[in-house]
Amino acid sequence: MRRLLFKIFLVLLASLGPGIALAELVVVVNARNGVAAMTRNEVINVFFGRNRQFFNGVEAMPVDLDDAHPKRAQFYKLLVGKDVSEINAYWSRQVFTGRMQAPPRLASTEEVVKWVAANPGGIGFVELSRADARVRVVYELKR
Amino acid sequence: MPGLGNRFCRRGGWQRLAFLLSSGLFCAAALAAPGDSFSIQGFGTLGAVRTTTDQVEFVRDLSQARGATDKWTGKTDSALGLQANWQVNPQWQAVAQVLSRYRFDRTFHPEMAWAFVKFEPSPNLSLRAGRLGTEFFMLADSRWVGYSFLTVRPPGDYFWHLPFYSIHGADASLAVSLGEGVVRGKVFYGQSRGHIPLADEQWDIRRSPMLGGYLEYQLGGLQLRGSYANIRFRNDLPLAPVLAREKNIVLPAAAAEYLKTRDTRTHYYSLGLVYDKGPFQAQLMLNHIDQGTRALSDSNAGYLLLGYRIGKMTPFVGYSRVLSRKYAKPELGDPLSNDVAAYVIEDSHSDQKTIFAGARWDVARNVALKAQWDGIRGDSSSLFPYRKDDRSRWDGRMDVFSLSLDFVF
Repeated sequence: MRRLLFKIFLVLLASLGPGIALAELVVVVNARNGVAAMTRNEVINVFFGRNRQFFNGVEAMPVDLDDAHPKRAQFYKLLVGKDVSEINAYWSRQVFTGRMQAPPRLASTEEVVKWVAANPGGIGFVELSRADARVRVVYELKR
Repeated sequence: MPGLGNRFCRRGGWQRLAFLLSSGLFCAAALAAPGDSFSIQGFGTLGAVRTTTDQVEFVRDLSQARGATDKWTGKTDSALGLQANWQVNPQWQAVAQVLSRYRFDRTFHPEMAWAFVKFEPSPNLSLRAGRLGTEFFMLADSRWVGYSFLTVRPPGDYFWHLPFYSIHGADASLAVSLGEGVVRGKVFYGQSRGHIPLADEQWDIRRSPMLGGYLEYQLGGLQLRGSYANIRFRNDLPLAPVLAREKNIVLPAAAAEYLKTRDTRTHYYSLGLVYDKGPFQAQLMLNHIDQGTRALSDSNAGYLLLGYRIGKMTPFVGYSRVLSRKYAKPELGDPLSNDVAAYVIEDSHSDQKTIFAGARWDVARNVALKAQWDGIRGDSSSLFPYRKDDRSRWDGRMDVFSLSLDFVF
């Protein structure tokens, strides 16, 4: 009986497992940047333009995805629990008070990887499967 | 060049807007070089508002000469802004914004809201000079960008007393990491611009020196800010012409001296707390205004706003309050001076609370529809926030119904 329960438990764990453990999206920086890991709040600070430097002094250059890209909505939902309309409202305040411009927006996560690889301070978000040797994963967004 | 400037200023409103933009575009196109970037962005609001009284007129803030009554009007909240950004290189940027909204002279004449150059010697240090927006209170410099906030308009009890929008001057802001959060400080100095309407006259606040700054801390969804600013008024209120026209009274010299605003300094203190996480957002703001003149009363104000997003709808509720200090009756020797001074002082009194509720609906990308009800419950002595007050009939209570369509492009 106990063994049977244990087996059922294992089966349940296996069925839940991938959903829990696998990151949907990851935040990546340029592989030569020197930053190894970031906390959620540090990622928020960079993507919302509050802090524009990594801890090592390198200028952070965040890059975003096009408004309609489904990964954009997913990223902000997972990072701060916000809808894209709220993110756009935030940037309209920053832009029209003359404080700062929103990060550039690219059409695909493939372009994000290229952009981050090309800029020493580049930081963006992509699917885990896209993160290759040109970039380093510094934060994982979990559902 | 003065001749050109004058001709330029006499152009009609929309002509002038078109001229500003086309000349901006032309300059940018002529100067654009590889590696820099130029963009035009805009924002706007189509708003309609009515109240339940014709005893006073409801305004968005004291920079508006006339306001809403019990008939629907589009004047109070409608606005259109266009902004040009030119990123010359990573360190240098030029920004100009043209804004058209109902203002002190009862027109929608577009004006250059701001025009400045920004220099960022390091990523977290920003220096700006030119015509700049002021942040006397948190969120004050984005008051006309309806798309950027939840309510139809910033809570009146808190923002009514703040008709200042921009300065000719400079500011500096610095951000520093502190733990996982960020500390930001900003200081600004400059000379104010603009006019504040007073009955059919205008109070000229141009060239009045302003100085201020804030310190804030942000961590995740939490933002806490304390700010201070002051202004030293260069001119007196236009009391003599207003009293002559409205009451047929000659302003006595003793009363004029008692009520002078010239060379008096007013201080603004505020505290703001914003909590914004997931579908929930909350704002708590408090301010204290310490007036240097007897013609305007010291006041305390505050508001609390709570919102919760459900899908594309964000219902919200809020409460705001403003209370100014009552001054003792002036004792100026002659009865007329006393009466006139007392009359003017009464006009700057505010004592009311407002409950408001509404919803923002993000109908499409970059477009929001809002509906809001404000229940203003005040004392009949609460006259300062309004225009065209009929003191004999005003009972301090009204409801305000507002609709708006806010967009950015």
